[in-house]
Amino acid sequence: MEIADLPISTSHRAKLLAAGYSSLAALSAASPTRLARDLSIEIQEAEDILKVAVGANKSKGVDGLSTSSVIKGAQNAWDMLSDEQSRKHINTGSADLNNILGGGIHCKEVTEIGGVPGIGKTQLGIQLAINVQIPVEYGGLGGKAVYIDTEGSFMAERVYQIAEGCISDILEYFPYCHDKALSGQERLKPESFLADIYYFRICSYTEQIAVINYLEKFLQEHKDVRIVIIDSVTFHFRQDFDDMALRTRVLSGLSLKLMKLAKAYNLAVVLLNQVTTKFTEGSFQLTLALGDSWSHSCTNRLILYWNGNERYAYLDKSPSLPVASAPYAVTVKGVRDTVSSNNSKRVRFLGMLSGANWAPIFEH
Amino acid sequence: MAAAGSGGSAGCFPGPYPTPSGEEKNQDERQGGQCLLNGMDLLKDVTESKRFLPTGLQGYSHLESSTLFLEEACAKVCLCSASHVAARQLGHVMYLDTSNSFSPSRIARIVDGFPFSLVKLPKNVRLERVMTSIVCKSVFDIFDLFEVLHQLELSLKNKVKCGNSNICLLIIDSISALLAPINGGKYPRGRSMMMSVAMLLKKLADEHNLSVLVTNHMVAGNGAPKPALGESWKTVPHVRLAISRARGSNICTATVLKHTLLASGRVMKFPVPS
Repeated sequence: MEIADLPISTSHRAKLLAAGYSSLAALSAASPTRLARDLSIEIQEAEDILKVAVGANKSKGVDGLSTSSVIKGAQNAWDMLSDEQSRKHINTGSADLNNILGGGIHCKEVTEIGGVPGIGKTQLGIQLAINVQIPVEYGGLGGKAVYIDTEGSFMAERVYQIAEGCISDILEYFPYCHDKALSGQERLKPESFLADIYYFRICSYTEQIAVINYLEKFLQEHKDVRIVIIDSVTFHFRQDFDDMALRTRVLSGLSLKLMKLAKAYNLAVVLLNQVTTKFTEGSFQLTLALGDSWSHSCTNRLILYWNGNERYAYLDKSPSLPVASAPYAVTVKGVRDTVSSNNSKRVRFLGMLSGANWAPIFEH
Repeated sequence: MAAAGSGGSAGCFPGPYPTPSGEEKNQDERQGGQCLLNGMDLLKDVTESKRFLPTGLQGYSHLESSTLFLEEACAKVCLCSASHVAARQLGHVMYLDTSNSFSPSRIARIVDGFPFSLVKLPKNVRLERVMTSIVCKSVFDIFDLFEVLHQLELSLKNKVKCGNSNICLLIIDSISALLAPINGGKYPRGRSMMMSVAMLLKKLADEHNLSVLVTNHMVAGNGAPKPALGESWKTVPHVRLAISRARGSNICTATVLKHTLLASGRVMKFPVPS
């Protein structure tokens, strides 16, 4: 590798070349103080540059290994298959929706959910932030949530209502949980559910970029976060954005960072998007905002739409699942199945907590 | 890299091209490999050492170094090619994934659907055999990509040829996602980094007999959608295919935009297994 391929800033690179460090070997032989003096930069910056150079040098030492480790960090598909099958999913609240999603929202993947205003995107986002906190004994992930709000549509009272609805459904489905220890009971209070949602309010696109850059450090400190929801990733990029090329660059950088976070910290990233009209094939069609280049930045895409009087979700893009549609409803308790698709209350709960491999809870 | 051959020209032109007569070039300046000085040598090289990797999709003729422009069928086409090549035991497949869309369960489904005549192994053995020859790595950054490609180059150089356990297909899912943050605007190195990636891929393809499959996306042009990454990227791949899928159907259409051997404009339809 050469100096040109190292991830350092342009000014540093120019200074390195001007000072005579034209190859990796020359750079790795330098000490931080010497480098700082030659380039007239701070010692800390010189140390950072050297760290990058040492990292690049280390990767040169790979030779003669078997194919699966020919690249550091590569895995072969056979190992990944068992990983994939044991991955957990986040319940969306509606059994039909879970079915088309293959069990729920996948961890380690970025899911984009888009729809017209009023279809229930924020409701679904809040439902996911609550459902990720369902304890492991009841079939959930027992994790925390990060909610990044750009539009200001996060209402704490509604979150409380949805948390109450979720807890009452859990208690109804698992009636023996009253025997559990007091600590278990403590966890099933709406207040503790609200306390485990980390909320960020964003007011401009620079703040949005900043929070995503900051997320990595945040996630290192809070390792039990299992979902990051960005409510309306589009909002600050639609109005007053003159430079379209800058928008594409910034958005693609954002999406790559989110993908990296999802993979590295094993969490689900959910992006809520708005719709716009596009003129294709002679007619105006509703399509997700942010353009064609954004369509590549998510792993799964779910489009919410109205069909008559009912809300439907359409899985548009997925690496392993077929396209499918499912109805859902937004009730007082949150996102649930529509009344017409399930007859009895019992079946509805089975749907909500399906996939829970709960061992008998009544052990003493 | 314009193909400026002397004498008769053969199809692909991936290696160092001959200088026009009258200009002297130092032997040391050549990048290793042979000096191909006339068309006959080239033709010999092409027919003997290059080979075509089947993609497993009926209607596709062959794939060499190519860029596929796709809407949503892209990942599925990549996975199909990967599984087909691995199933035929032509070599290992390296998959560089930028959007976490590499799905081993999907590959397992594709492999299970192969007829017995293709993979002459019983089902329980062949899945493991095929899956262990597909290697996946996630890259989320253009610098990560450089590092991975350099590592790959080093390991290919150092490895002694041992049967068919060499990498023969390199798939980069969405090179446009990696190049988008640096292209355009005030960042002057974006274009040059794009070109250095391109040169690196061509070098890998040529020196180590790899097939490189790279995906791109479409952007809205004047009227019809056109491939992203612009005019400079147009010259990079040897073969370019545009794939589209009608909404709601499983049949994809591939149009040849640029090819070294076929005429452009040919259209093929093929079903993508779901």
